[in-house]
Amino acid sequence: MEWLNPYHLQVASFVLINAILGVSIYVTLSTGQLSLGNAGFMSLGAYTAALLSTQHQVPIPVGILAGSLLAGVAGILVGIPALRLSGVYLAIATLGFGEVLRAVLINWESLTGGAVGVAAIPQMGRVILAWASDRGFSPESLGLQANQFISLTVFLILLFSTVLTVTFFLRLSRSRVGRAYAAIRLDESAAEAAGIPITYYKVLAFSQGALLSGFAGALFAHSTSYVSPGDFTYHRAVEILVFAVFGGSEHIFGPVFGAAFLTIMPEALRFISDYRYILYGVLLVAMMIFRPQGVIDPPLLRFFRRKRNGGAQ
Amino acid sequence: MFLEQLINGITQGSIYAIVALGYTLVFGVLDIINMAHGEIFMFGSFVGLLVVTKAGAPLPVAFLAAIVSTAAMGLLLERFALRPLRTRRGASHLASMISTIGVSILLENLAHKLFGAGNHLFETPFAEISFKIGPLTIYLVQVVILVISLLLMVGLALWLSRSRLGKALRATAENLETAGLLGVDTNRMITATVVIASAMGGVAGVLVGMAFNYINNQMGLSMGLKGLAIIIFGGMGSVYGAMAGGLILGLSETFMVAYGSSGYRDAIAFVLIIVVLLLKPQGLFGVAPAEAKR
Repeated sequence: MEWLNPYHLQVASFVLINAILGVSIYVTLSTGQLSLGNAGFMSLGAYTAALLSTQHQVPIPVGILAGSLLAGVAGILVGIPALRLSGVYLAIATLGFGEVLRAVLINWESLTGGAVGVAAIPQMGRVILAWASDRGFSPESLGLQANQFISLTVFLILLFSTVLTVTFFLRLSRSRVGRAYAAIRLDESAAEAAGIPITYYKVLAFSQGALLSGFAGALFAHSTSYVSPGDFTYHRAVEILVFAVFGGSEHIFGPVFGAAFLTIMPEALRFISDYRYILYGVLLVAMMIFRPQGVIDPPLLRFFRRKRNGGAQ
Repeated sequence: MFLEQLINGITQGSIYAIVALGYTLVFGVLDIINMAHGEIFMFGSFVGLLVVTKAGAPLPVAFLAAIVSTAAMGLLLERFALRPLRTRRGASHLASMISTIGVSILLENLAHKLFGAGNHLFETPFAEISFKIGPLTIYLVQVVILVISLLLMVGLALWLSRSRLGKALRATAENLETAGLLGVDTNRMITATVVIASAMGGVAGVLVGMAFNYINNQMGLSMGLKGLAIIIFGGMGSVYGAMAGGLILGLSETFMVAYGSSGYRDAIAFVLIIVVLLLKPQGLFGVAPAEAKR
């Protein structure tokens, strides 16, 4: 069980959280709205969950739910005025929303702890281990050390959340809502003329993205047990966008792949330490030159599907 | 006191305006946001710093060195990160934005590698020289910054409106294809735009070094975000909008710090754009986009 070390599991956990974040921007993008506010919504979810559990002893699942819902409501409130904007304007305005929110987090010290952030947030794995130990369970009975068990539990919870998220939106894309999204993305005027209530669907998509970001943020808070305004900067917002654009924003597997690849790559390249982010930058430029639609696009998926079917015959 | 704060605000605002002009020029011609502009500005600042402190050269040489190096960076940026995307079918505007984000990540980490983290002291020989007009204390640095930025803004406005090259550039901004049909070498105009915009970033970098006395490899980001806010605020692609927006932002930040709370200083830019976007989505000086361009 040597390979099952907390480091690998932690990287895997970040892959999953980032995958949810990638999906969150994909959902908003699937109606043609480019939002850079997802880091802000993520901070809403993270701080809500963190503060509820540290200051009010609310159970973790309730905190996560409350954080996601609050972010979703904030998404509606931001999404309605955002209807007036499109393209670059929307991107910068939502980025501005995130930055204003971060300024509030830094300055509202009595509630948020200011620039230092919130520490000692109950960690999901530890809480579950403590609960199980009270009932006579010991991780050694599974051949695991305590810290392996904690990391593994967190990983499994995140895996479940990610699979749930991806499945939900995969099913959504084949529903009435998903087809309305696709129609709006292709041509807003035509969709409106065809009787699709675009205001409703655009705000819905925006709010779904915000809710997912808040969900990811709340999971993040309970995985790392520490959040600070520094976790939700411009860099985070851009990182989330890059997951979707690098992986491909035309299919939900794109952002998931992008999140996995771009989270693992800097870790795998630790041996060239200082140069890895330089390489990351070069990779982004090269990617946009040679495959601007992202790694995964529908033709590629069709190719794989055909190959699989061909092999089965 | 009020007048001194006013002068501080105008000095600050004129630097913002020059940074914003770099964004607005590129957006006007190429319709893309050059996310690497902030980092090019930061490199200009470091080149100026190295020339002044390590080589002991006078300030004008520092400006020259910053201009030359950032212009070269603009040239490379256009050649390797923008041009290959332009000739490609199906590459959206998002693609070129991501590509410049890639360049900005590259440059920020390169600067970290080359110059290290933390603040570097940017000393100018006349930093302490000030003179009094009545009860008013004015620093020579402020005067120099103001004069240079005014010259740059007026020069750019005149060049755009009067010179042959400036007219060609405006024609390219108006409509790339038509300008090309009318005999404008649009590729050359685009390169020229990116180079000029980057060089202005370099000048702004040295000005910031003079104004704040210290620089670091993170400052490209905060300045870049403010520059973005200003062009949205003033209207995308509008040269006068960028100038006015820069001054308004500089003044409101200075007065916020002087008479309000300093904690929200960096958020003002975004509060301003959110308000402006909701009232007039095309920005203060922007023109509503024609329906056909959507």
